[in-house]
This record gives sequence, C-alpha cells and structure tokens, in this order.
Amino acid sequence: MKIAVPIKFVPDLVEELTIDSNGAALDTSWLRFIINEFDDHAIEQAILLKERAGAEVTVICAEGDGVDDILFATAAKGADSLVKLTGDFGGGINSHAAARALADLFKESKPDLILTGVQGHNDLDGSVGALLAEYLGMPFVGYVAGVALSDGKAVIRKEYPGGIIAEMEIKLPAVLGIQAAEQPPRYVAYSKINQIMKTAKIEDRALANLDFNGGATVSRMFKPKAASQATMIQGSPDEVAERVFGLLKEHGVM
Amino acid sequence: MYDTIKSILVLIALVASIGIFFRYAWQRLWVNLRRGQPTPPFTQWGERVKGLIVYVAAQWRLFRFRVPGIAHFFIFWGFLLLSLTILQAMVEGLLAFTNPHFVIPIIGTWGALAFVQDFFALFVIAGVSYGLYLRLVVNPERYAGSHRGKGVKVLTFILTIMLSLLLMNGLRINLDLDLLGRYRPISTLIGGLFASLPDATQSILAEVSYWIHLGVVLLFLTELPQGKHFHIVTSIPAVLLRDLEPRGRLPKPADGASGVGTMEQFRWRTMLDFYTCTECGRCQEMCPAHTSGSTLSPKLLTMNLRHNLEERGAALSAKKTNGVLSKTLIGDVIAEEAIWSCTTCYTCDQECPLFIEHVNPIVEMRRHLVLEGKMDKMLQEALANLGRYGNSLGQSDRMRAKWTQGLQPAVKDARREPVEYLWFVGDYASYSPTLTDVTRKTAQVFQHAGLNFGILFDAERNAGNDVRRVGEEGLFEMLSGKNMQALSKCKYETIVTTDPHTYNTLKNEYPWNGNRPNILHYTELLDQLIAKGQLKLSKKLDSRITYHDPCYLGRYNGVYDSPRRLLRATGCELIEMSRHGDRAFCCGAGGGRIWMEEKPGRERPSEMRVKDAAELAGIREFVVACPKDVTMFKDAVKTTGNESKLHVKDVIELVYEAL
Repeated sequence: MKIAVPIKFVPDLVEELTIDSNGAALDTSWLRFIINEFDDHAIEQAILLKERAGAEVTVICAEGDGVDDILFATAAKGADSLVKLTGDFGGGINSHAAARALADLFKESKPDLILTGVQGHNDLDGSVGALLAEYLGMPFVGYVAGVALSDGKAVIRKEYPGGIIAEMEIKLPAVLGIQAAEQPPRYVAYSKINQIMKTAKIEDRALANLDFNGGATVSRMFKPKAASQATMIQGSPDEVAERVFGLLKEHGVM
Repeated sequence: MYDTIKSILVLIALVASIGIFFRYAWQRLWVNLRRGQPTPPFTQWGERVKGLIVYVAAQWRLFRFRVPGIAHFFIFWGFLLLSLTILQAMVEGLLAFTNPHFVIPIIGTWGALAFVQDFFALFVIAGVSYGLYLRLVVNPERYAGSHRGKGVKVLTFILTIMLSLLLMNGLRINLDLDLLGRYRPISTLIGGLFASLPDATQSILAEVSYWIHLGVVLLFLTELPQGKHFHIVTSIPAVLLRDLEPRGRLPKPADGASGVGTMEQFRWRTMLDFYTCTECGRCQEMCPAHTSGSTLSPKLLTMNLRHNLEERGAALSAKKTNGVLSKTLIGDVIAEEAIWSCTTCYTCDQECPLFIEHVNPIVEMRRHLVLEGKMDKMLQEALANLGRYGNSLGQSDRMRAKWTQGLQPAVKDARREPVEYLWFVGDYASYSPTLTDVTRKTAQVFQHAGLNFGILFDAERNAGNDVRRVGEEGLFEMLSGKNMQALSKCKYETIVTTDPHTYNTLKNEYPWNGNRPNILHYTELLDQLIAKGQLKLSKKLDSRITYHDPCYLGRYNGVYDSPRRLLRATGCELIEMSRHGDRAFCCGAGGGRIWMEEKPGRERPSEMRVKDAAELAGIREFVVACPKDVTMFKDAVKTTGNESKLHVKDVIELVYEAL
C-alpha cells in the first residue's frame, strides 16, 4: 500500500497581512508561512493508516521557508519518503498548476491512496484534491473525517452538519480530501526530529513547466472597510430608553 | 551444657539472620541497581563527607519537622550507641561455651559508655513511644499510604529490644554479674523492681531477656532490607552521593533522549533513592499537587517506583516473563495524571531528610511521554507555539516588544548598541495584556534609576525553563541555543530578568562554558540600587501587605531577602503568611502546569494560597515577584471571592508608586 500526501504552505494568520503595492496580492515580504491545517490532518490520517495496516507514506511539498523542517517532522512521525518540489514559484502556484504537476508525479509513482487537505485558506477556485482526481482519473471524496482500508477498497467516514455521519466505500486508487484525521495531529518531540534529520533524505524534484491554465486571477485585493463601531449604552433602563429614543430621532427614523 | 547449646543456637541464629539480610541486600543494592543507567562520576568528596556529618550524624533536615525530628535524633543516636551492646550480646553468646560472662574490652568495660548507653536506652524508648503515638493516635495525613503495619511492627521491635536490654542489665546488676552496674542508674532502677525475687528466678529471667533482646535484634535484621527501614543502610550512600549541582539545574536525561519509560532507564543513583524512602510523608504533606487532590503524592510515587523496581528485579532475576514485566511503568505503576500534576515547586525535594529526588524522575517520565506524543492538548499547543514563535502564547515574535511603544525615552535595542543591563523580559511580561502595564512600569523604574539597559526585541525567545520541565529537552535546546546566539551578539555586563523561571534556567542551565555573566532578578537589582543610593524612593506607602515567594526565586535560588528589603523600602508593612520563605506554597503554575488544563472541581493551589493571605488581618495587597503569579493569583482572588479584599500586585508596582 502506497500513500501519497501532497501538502502546501499557507500564510500564517498570526502575522498581520499587508497587501502589496500592486493591490492584487499579499505582500510576501512580511508573510510567515505555515503548513495548511487540513494538510496536517491528512498527514496524521496517513500515519494512522500506516500504523494500523502498514503502508509506505510519501509526503510532497513545494519548496519554501520552513518546508524542510515540516518534512523532517513528518518523517519523525513515521513518513517514509519526503519529496520537495523545486522550481520558480515566486508568484505562487495555483491549484491547477499544482494538480497537473502532482498528477505527473503520481502517474510515475502510482500511489494507491492520495490524501490531501480538503482545502487551504488561500485557495481561489477549489482544492487540489478534486482537480488531481480528475487528471488521474481517480474517484474523489472530500470532507473526509476517517478512513479504513480493506483490500483494494477504502471505507470513508464523512461528517455532515447536524451530527450525521455517512460511511461510503470507494475503490482504490483514489484521492481523498481530508477535513479531520481520526485524532488531532500528534506532537513530535524536537529530539525525534533532530534524530531523523541525520538519516532521512529529502528528494528534490524539479518542476520545469508549470501550466497555470484554468485558474482564477485576483484583480483586486483589499481589506474590508471597518464598519462603524457599535456603541454600548449604559445606565438605568429609563436612561437607556431615553438615549435610544434620542438616537432614533437624531437619525430621522422617528 | 546450656552454655554450649547457647553458643550453637546464637551461631545458627546469627548465620541465618545475617544470611537473610545479605541475600536481600545483595538483590536490592547490587543486582537491581546494576540494571540502572550509569551515573556521572561523583566529585567534591569534601562536600559529600560534610553532608554525612550534617545530614546523617546531626540529622539536620529532620528538624524541619521539630518534634518528630528530635524523636528520630534520639532513636538514631541510641541505635548507634546501643549497637555496641548488641555486639556484646552476640559475642557473649558465641563465646558462652568457654566463658559465659565474657565482656568485650572497652565496649563492656568502659563506665562512661555504659552510663551514656543506659540513658540513651531511655531516650530511644521515649522516641519510639512518640513514634507509636504518632502512628496509632495522631496518624497525620502525611502517613496516608505508608506501610503503617510495618512501621508499627518495627517500632515495637525497637521498644522490645530496649526494654529487654534494660531488664537484662537490671537483673544482672541484682545478681552481681555486671561489672559496670554502678554506671547504669536506669537499669538499676528497673532491676530494683525484681530484687525481691529469688536469685534463681532472676537468673532465668535475665537469660530470657537476653534471648528476647538478641532474638528481636536478629528478627529486625531480617526485616531491615525488606521495607522502609532499609534506609538505615541506604541513607549513608544516599546522602554521600546526593546531587551537589545547583537546585535549579535539572540533570541531563538518563537514557539518551528517550526519557524513562521502563524502570531500567532510570540511573542507578535514582533507584537508590527509591530504596531510601522512609515513607515519612513530609513531601506528601507539603505537596501542592497532593494537597489540591491530584493523584500525585511524591511519597507514593517513590514507593510505587520502589515496588516496581523490586518486582521487576525479582522477575528479571528469575528469568520469567510473567505479568510483572508486561506492566507499564507509566500507566500501570505511575498514573500519567500524577506525572503531569507536578508543579516542580521543589518542596518535596527540599523537605526530604534524605535528599530523595522527585522532580527529576518525574521530568524523566515526562520526557518519555513527550516523545510518545502523549500530553494534554493545551500543552501540545503551547509547545507547538514555542517551537514556531518562541512563545507559548502563539503570538508573532515580531510583536514581542510591542509593549515598548510610546515609552520615552525609547527602550534600547541591545543588539544594536552596548548596554550595561540586558533585560530578558520573558513571555508573559511581554505578551500578556494584563501584564504589559507592569512591564512598562518596570521599564520606567529602570529609567528613573538611570540604568543603561536594553532588550533583545524579537530575538528573545522563551528561556525554556518550563519547556525543560515538561520534558521537551530538544525544544529547550533549540530555544536556549537561539537565545545564546542572540546574547552572544550583544555587549552587556549583567542580565536582568522579570521572570524567576527565566532567571533560574539562564543562571543554572544555560551553557555559559565558564563565562556566565552576572544574572539578577529585578528585585535583586533594585535592592542593590537602593543600597547604593542610585534608586531613591521618595514616597512612603503605608499599606499592610504580604509577600508570596515564587518557587524559582526562593526555594530554587535562595532569593528571599532582596524582595523583602525592597518592599520595606517602599514603606509598606510586610506581614508574613504562615507559609513563607522556603516553605512558601506554590501557586500551581510551575513546571509547565500553566499550559495544562486544570481538573475541574478541585481547590487549586493558588486558591489555597490566597486563603493563606486572606487569614491575615488588614492585608490589602498580595505582593508577588513573578509574572505567572500575577496571572494565577488575580484569577484565584476572584474565584475565592476575595476580590474586594485583596489586590494582587507585583513588587515593581509598589516600587513605581513609591518613586
């Protein structure tokens, strides 16, 4: 059983976001990147499957700040191979280009199961998972919250609003968009990462021609205007009522 | 005829009991301990031998519990002095076949010794009776979980040994068989009770007393290595080989990076501690985790570890893979909750008369749990934040010095210009919205005193004291490495810290390689500045206040006087809580507890502590010297309904008011 987990990095919202001078993208000089939360769950789900039934887990990520650390951390969790996609990604990669590049990769490595985060907070027009399934001609289920494997099939759990859980069977190979792993992503101790860094290898893979076709483009990016602030009216009920009455009158409602 | 039989019986009893003693002692001290990890070589032998005199001979730490300490002192010295009479009894029995009245030179002929022994027998009886009274009548909470039956049994043994000795000596004095009779007033007094009996009866009684005396001694000898009384043997190596490093320096992991997940991963020196526990429960009585109802008791932790060491040792020696070996150290032997409940306040380690370590084995087991990824969700998040942003609050490192905005003159960047004082601000003081006001006041006090100081701005990382204590050694190394790197690029003379936890690890654990700069807590610095006249307080505050000693400032680093002098300099009247100084009760935040979930429904240590202060008449301010304390106690004052009565303040706030 071969499981592939393509992951991506997204801007860390801990930092204040600023928009660059062209007004159509974030100013990357102030950005800090962090692994997409859903992708972290996809990794956890892959490791859980490996622990349960045995599998060879490959984690793939495009190069960038902090990517090596995250790849080594996944190795410390139990991933078997690490692949870093290299190339000129200065302007970012849209989901279509990413999906095409990954599809080429997977046509070669032929994974039985591809797990990817169901979405990223900077997606423009949909997630990579569905596109990837299309390019590979594989079935796709998104918003998955649990996977069990049994010869050539996967039983998938999906949570619906209102506390309903659906279970479905899917034939492998397949692509799954993970919303949540069966348990929260595990903590991996630094000593373990340091240890694995001595032996684990990150395989670099150059991406030559990216095909961005089909993606959406942002024409303008801006911060929402702060709505006028709410005012708390304090005092006794009579005072409050009087003030409300005054305000309504002032605004010409009464 | 009888004398020959006596000699043979004494010989058999001696060989049997000494044989049993050594068989157990061998298994425990040699076979079992050898399975442990190596212990770094022991140095400073002068200090070690001094420890034997102070802590074994003078029993120094026992007096922290005054009356039980005095009782033990007399039992201990009585035991030493009277072991000579035991030797006499053994030799006398062995040689009975040639000379039934043999006396060992000096031991049996020195009047002064006989006199002292006679009185000490009485002191031991008094001490043991007090021990029995404590166990059977008072039964303090600290004994909960101890082997009460065994304790009572051994005390009864000692009582019997003493009474039979006095009786034997008394009867021998009556029969004119004791050369030193006139040096034994107590025995003479006891003998007097039987003086009216016929000589033959007295002679039989004396012989019976002899057999009871020697028999119980030998019975005790077989009992000795099997329970808490083994401390009689192990206390000497335990004190001699105690950890002489500063209290605030946690030992390096015993078994590489893996922590301790099975008994044999402990160092053999740590295992020796398990055998040394006397089950006295001083640690348990003072433990904030135990007092607040968690499953942790330092005493039970040690006892359970000892039990596991015992049963695993036996199972491994028997080469049987029975159920014992499949028991997990963490889980079956020690509950995970117990391991995480420790606040690392050091009270248990400090109170133990025999220097048994509790914090260290707890951290060793935490290291294992961290490696397995088994931890509280909040803690996991805090560690992830610390790894990513260098602070536990999950805020951008770029915002670390945001609190300095608007301060005039601007706070210097120690990375850009040389400063005299490099102020290591710490996470809570930098980020916590409730604390930044206090931090600004600290800066203003420094400025008022004309200090040339600067900070590291976004290059500062959490110092890692509590990261180390939750068992994330690798992350500690990463954080300390980054801080060391940032510090190495700065020019400064002294490091000042706001947080006692930061202070502790910078001072005791950072790898300064012999070039450690002067490191001060801000209370020490301000105290020095006032003494030098560099900082003048113009106002006299007239508050009645009480002061809470932070664990990592007080117990760990012995800083008790500086904050008190500083508070008195503000004109405040300082009233001490009943538990203060090295007995101060922990706020419950240390050792990473501040990052973990509190079990609901329990009284928290911080709440108990606030009650200590609320008991004092007329106290308006509860003063602390640790940012974590401000957070903990502001909350506890609310939850205990003392919000209108007590105001939690940092020392610096009072200094600021008094400027």
